[in-house]
Amino acid sequence: MIVCVAVVGHQNNPLYLQSFTAADDALKLHHIIHCSLDVVDERVNNPKKSGPTLNETFLGMLYPTENYKVYGYLTNTKVKFLMVTTDLEVKDADVRSFFRKFHAAFVDAVSNPFHVPGKKITSKIFAERISGIVKSFGSVTAG
Amino acid sequence: MDPQKSYLGRLLQEEITPVIMVFTTHLVEDACQKNGLNFIEMLLPFSLFNKINVPVRTASDQPYRLQMFKLRLAYASDIHLQNYEAAERHLKQVVHDASHKSLTNLSSDPPELEDLLKDSGSDLCPTWIQTFNKELIQTLCFSEHETFDHPVACLLVVSSKDERTINKFIDLLNTDQLPSLLNDGVMDPKILKHYLLLHDNQDGSPEKVTSILAEMRNTFGSNCKLLCINSAEHADGASKDISWMPYGSHTLPRDDIACFLSSDDINSVRDFMQDFSCNYIIPHMEQKIRILNQQVAATRKGFRNQIKNLWWRKGKEDAPETPNGPTYTFSSIESQIRILADYAFMLRDYELALSNYRLLSTDYKLDKAWKRYAGVQEMTGLCYFMLDQSRKDSDYCMENAFSTYLKIGSSSQRYATRCGLWWAEMSKAKSQFKDAANIYFRISNEEPSLHAAVLLEQAAYCYLLSNPPMLRKYGFHLVLAGNRYYMSDQRHHAIWAYRNALCVYRENGWSYISDHVHYNVGRWYSFVGILDVAVKHMLEVLECSHQSLATQSIFLNDFFHVLQSIGKKFEVYKLRLPVINMASLKVLFEDFRTYASASDVHVSESLWQSLEEELVPWASSGRSNWLDSQMKPSSLKRKDISVCVAGESVTVELEFKNPLQVSISVSEISLICELSAKSEGTETGKSASQIEPPEDSDHRNSPSYRYPHNDDSFTLTKVDVVLGGGETQRIQLEVSPKIEGLLKVIGVRWTLSDTVVGYQYFDFDAKNKQKKGRRSRHSSSSNLSFIVIKGLPKLNACIQHLPKKVFAGDLRLLLLQLGNQSKFSVKNIKMKISHPRFLIPGCMEDLNMDLPECLEKQKINGTRKAPADVTANSKSLLFSFPVDAIIQGETSFTWPLWFHAGLSGNISLYVSIYYEVASCSSDMTFRILRMHHDLEVMPSMDVSFNITPCTSSLQEFFVRMDILNKTKLDTFSLHQLSCVGNTWEISALPTSLSVFPVQTLLAGQALSCFFKLKDCRKSSTTEEKLTFRGGDLLMVSEDSKEAMIDISKSPMVEFHQQERYHQGKSAKGDPSIVEFILISKMQGSDPSILPGIRPKLLTNHACYSSVSSKCPISWQMSGPRKINHNFSKSFCEASFHLQVHNLSDTLLTIRLATTNCMLERKHSSEVAKLSDSSGNGGGWHDISLVNDIKAISNVHGNRPKKSSLETSSPFVWCALSSTKLNLEPFCTTEIPLKVCLFTPGTYDLSNYELHWVLKLPEEGITHDGKLCSSGSVGGHPFYLTVLQVRH
Repeated sequence: MIVCVAVVGHQNNPLYLQSFTAADDALKLHHIIHCSLDVVDERVNNPKKSGPTLNETFLGMLYPTENYKVYGYLTNTKVKFLMVTTDLEVKDADVRSFFRKFHAAFVDAVSNPFHVPGKKITSKIFAERISGIVKSFGSVTAG
Repeated sequence: MDPQKSYLGRLLQEEITPVIMVFTTHLVEDACQKNGLNFIEMLLPFSLFNKINVPVRTASDQPYRLQMFKLRLAYASDIHLQNYEAAERHLKQVVHDASHKSLTNLSSDPPELEDLLKDSGSDLCPTWIQTFNKELIQTLCFSEHETFDHPVACLLVVSSKDERTINKFIDLLNTDQLPSLLNDGVMDPKILKHYLLLHDNQDGSPEKVTSILAEMRNTFGSNCKLLCINSAEHADGASKDISWMPYGSHTLPRDDIACFLSSDDINSVRDFMQDFSCNYIIPHMEQKIRILNQQVAATRKGFRNQIKNLWWRKGKEDAPETPNGPTYTFSSIESQIRILADYAFMLRDYELALSNYRLLSTDYKLDKAWKRYAGVQEMTGLCYFMLDQSRKDSDYCMENAFSTYLKIGSSSQRYATRCGLWWAEMSKAKSQFKDAANIYFRISNEEPSLHAAVLLEQAAYCYLLSNPPMLRKYGFHLVLAGNRYYMSDQRHHAIWAYRNALCVYRENGWSYISDHVHYNVGRWYSFVGILDVAVKHMLEVLECSHQSLATQSIFLNDFFHVLQSIGKKFEVYKLRLPVINMASLKVLFEDFRTYASASDVHVSESLWQSLEEELVPWASSGRSNWLDSQMKPSSLKRKDISVCVAGESVTVELEFKNPLQVSISVSEISLICELSAKSEGTETGKSASQIEPPEDSDHRNSPSYRYPHNDDSFTLTKVDVVLGGGETQRIQLEVSPKIEGLLKVIGVRWTLSDTVVGYQYFDFDAKNKQKKGRRSRHSSSSNLSFIVIKGLPKLNACIQHLPKKVFAGDLRLLLLQLGNQSKFSVKNIKMKISHPRFLIPGCMEDLNMDLPECLEKQKINGTRKAPADVTANSKSLLFSFPVDAIIQGETSFTWPLWFHAGLSGNISLYVSIYYEVASCSSDMTFRILRMHHDLEVMPSMDVSFNITPCTSSLQEFFVRMDILNKTKLDTFSLHQLSCVGNTWEISALPTSLSVFPVQTLLAGQALSCFFKLKDCRKSSTTEEKLTFRGGDLLMVSEDSKEAMIDISKSPMVEFHQQERYHQGKSAKGDPSIVEFILISKMQGSDPSILPGIRPKLLTNHACYSSVSSKCPISWQMSGPRKINHNFSKSFCEASFHLQVHNLSDTLLTIRLATTNCMLERKHSSEVAKLSDSSGNGGGWHDISLVNDIKAISNVHGNRPKKSSLETSSPFVWCALSSTKLNLEPFCTTEIPLKVCLFTPGTYDLSNYELHWVLKLPEEGITHDGKLCSSGSVGGHPFYLTVLQVRH
């Protein structure tokens, strides 16, 4: 199950952060997302030199904590997508497709002429789309 | 990096050293206590040898030299495994002490990120953490499964005062005092013994002692020593440079420590320790290593032994597995190997140690003695590290040891921790800080929260040290650490950790985390009593609009709680609550411009200026070119400084916003001002620049600090508001100076919930500040400084009864009331009104009149004339009040104003009143009062007129008036229709009185009325007197008593002129133009309009309804209608005249063409064309009317067609078939016509055409869009009946 998704801007400022748990653990998830940025930075600064991964946006698993796994995705505008999941076995392909959908939703949201770049995403449609994607991700892995 | 030089290397060399077990008697301790030390403490400074330089030869033949060496001394009673709770207590004490020793500067500012990054390595990790690590490791001393803590030798100390010294030595070695390790058989009881006789020189000379020593030598052999102490009478300072590190205790060093130890004593102690370690300990260990090595080589080395060992161990595989594995006594080969390895490790022969550890680890693994296995693995890892061999191996071993310890269970957790600490140090030594941090994090999970906190803090520092620094993880781990510190009651540490983490979260946007950190730091600071810092942190979280309602109120409550516990009002610079929108800052002040109400100020200055151009003397004289406008000579006009008047207030408008969902109460909002009085003798011109106090130095100082005493030279208003959740309020703050001088508005202060005072200074460089003032051009550089000048009179004004909502056409009388509250009188009052279409000044007489009656026509012909000073040009509509209108001090003055709502829509009326100060002694000679009113004019009636020439008379026209009531609810009653001027006369159609029964027009109703209009110009001059009356038509029924309204009276005329000016743009004097005024009254049913402001009279002005239609000519056939003729004699000839009148103002060429055949098609198409154009005529709303006309004209058009069919060409035009002539403007000519008829009958003599061509002046082509330059029309029907005369 996906616990939390986040969009972080190129200055590492949070643009969107949504948790999908009932419990009041927003602070914890904020911390996890925030910490994961360190790993993103690390990955970005020390890229693997091999050919196919040169332009790879998917960063893979960033931060295995005891309960969560954090996956990351980096767009070419240095916007980061992060996803925190409690699933122990997640296929990379699933996560990749999840992030692709996420990216598409993000692009649509920031294409709104009323969106100010670098500010938080407040679009309700974006939020709905994301929660839809998150739900479908859960069902895919369950089934 | 040389591992031996690394921190871990030094740590291992200091910590894994031979242990000396010490036995003392009471008298020995007593002698030592005189110095405030116990025996071990006395020896301790000398147990560390930095340059011992001893040759060592272990298993190999090659000797090497030991440089640094250390002995660990321990009382026999301490040589046992510490129990868990005691260790816990001890460590807690360590942490607690550290909080007092090293965390003294808690109230200082937290470190900045840059400073942290600049600090290299070891500075970051506080030393107390290393101490803690050491202490944590030491709690595991003297374990069974490791031998490096087992005593290598024992030192027996007996005082010379003891009776029977020899026996004492033997008693000390009594088995029941021995540590359990020896008794249990874990350790070899045959241990190297060293005998020491301690002599206290205060007890006398050492003669007796030498004999005891000799006796000892006889009994115990050569390893007996004598040590003399306390030879100094008093403290001689010899011991000052030695750090007497208290052993195991944490008492602070006292002054009397070692006071009786002379330098000789100290030297002898040092010599003793040197001798003891060099001559006894090290050789003993060397020897032991060699012996054990031989044993191990004999039993275990070599292929045969290995096979044997393997086989032997195989047999034991079935043995039940005990938690600690099988027990090994000191004599077992495994223990021997372990001792061998440990001794080798202690003597730095890491190769030997490593090979033995590796040998041992396979054994223990096979035996499933996991704890021992893990211990050996741990040591293997350390050996690899010390040998600087492959990192992979060492990591593997440490990992192995770590996981094995964890696997065993709770009893070995602490060992896992120790292993982890070493492992982490190992990684740190290799600059792999990230790994180290990971290890710290792992071991923190196994420890109780306090230890975990320390470990997490170390992990945090590791993240900071890693390259590149992982700041977020640093922060996160500090937060975790702080949290655990807090849970284990170490608030100082918790604060320390959190505040260090703060700098990380200063990064933009992560408000959730930074709020949490700030809030907790604040709370904890308040717990430990550092309240001011607590408040500082609490302030950071106040603006937490993103948090939930509950969190917000918690934050607020805690904040107020802290403030209350401070007890005094706290002043905070830039308090975040409420949020002040500095961009919204607006300054409203009155210099020579005064405003009637606050809303008038928001009107843009340029609008006022354009209005006042002729009003203000300098404004009209200046501005001839740009140079003049720059150099206006006035002492008061300077760039940055505005002028205000003493006694009048300067208002500053600011927006206050509550970002929270909780409502907050803000009280005592007031400005912070400075008023420096004008010093005598200085000109006002200079004072501004000279008095200006030193600025910008301390903008952060609190206002009460800057202005400790209350200034009574100005008064401030204080505003209290309660801001609901998310509410924004615009608050006006006033300051009114009382004396002349220089006033500066510096900032604003407010009190939040009666507990905290916030203040903020206005940023003087703010570009976006809007300033309403004369110098709006300079607003970007303007500041909030004012020159206060002497008090001046100030008029206030209001227009009474001015409604907010009126109907279009509403005409009413208003009163302008001017009040003067000052003691001075004002004179020379002038007024200018922006929209004379709506508002004009009346005359004094109007004051006493009631509205409808005063306009009615008097029975006696009114002698009033239109005021001469009202000119039609609205641009220069400047009204001067009579010269005698001087408003004395504290009086008021009333003047009538006429109001007429000319146009529907929203309209802003601006009125400027200029006045001069009667006693002209001030800097300012005149002032302007500005008023501004917004009106909503609702549409009432739509009136349009259409005029068509009458076919029967050249001077008469039909007027159709279409009225549409555009209101929703209101009913109007029509009162009067007038046409302006004396050239026209309007009258009701004789029949239309019955057609026109309704005088009221309901809401939404449309009505068409028809009138006859007569052009009176042709009439003789004698009639002119009557035309005054002829222009009006009373539309009410005859029996009502209502009187006519005289449209030539004062307000009607002016308003009509305004309307004419606004409605049309063509030149005046066009005689073809009729202007109508429809006067109606409101019968109103709309309850929303109060009776008092119900419009009494509405006038609709319709100007420029032209009588001219598409065709510029009108014509009329005149002649006999009925002819009796005897056709038997001859055909009948009839003469006619066609009167053609030029309606246009240009020369016309007319051609009359008569045709004898009928032109049905052309005729009908002509009619259609005409009706179409009438549809375009403007103001025709009802399409059906057009259809009516069509129908009518069809009737007209079809009849002759039919008749002509019956009587085909029964007559012939004779005389001219075509006439061409010119027609002067507005002239009439006659064309004679003749017709020949052959049979009796009725004839329609309409088959002629009039062609006209306009002789236009060059520019006048289609000048109204209506007139074509040429055209042709068919004739009007003219029926001629010819009867046969019978004879």
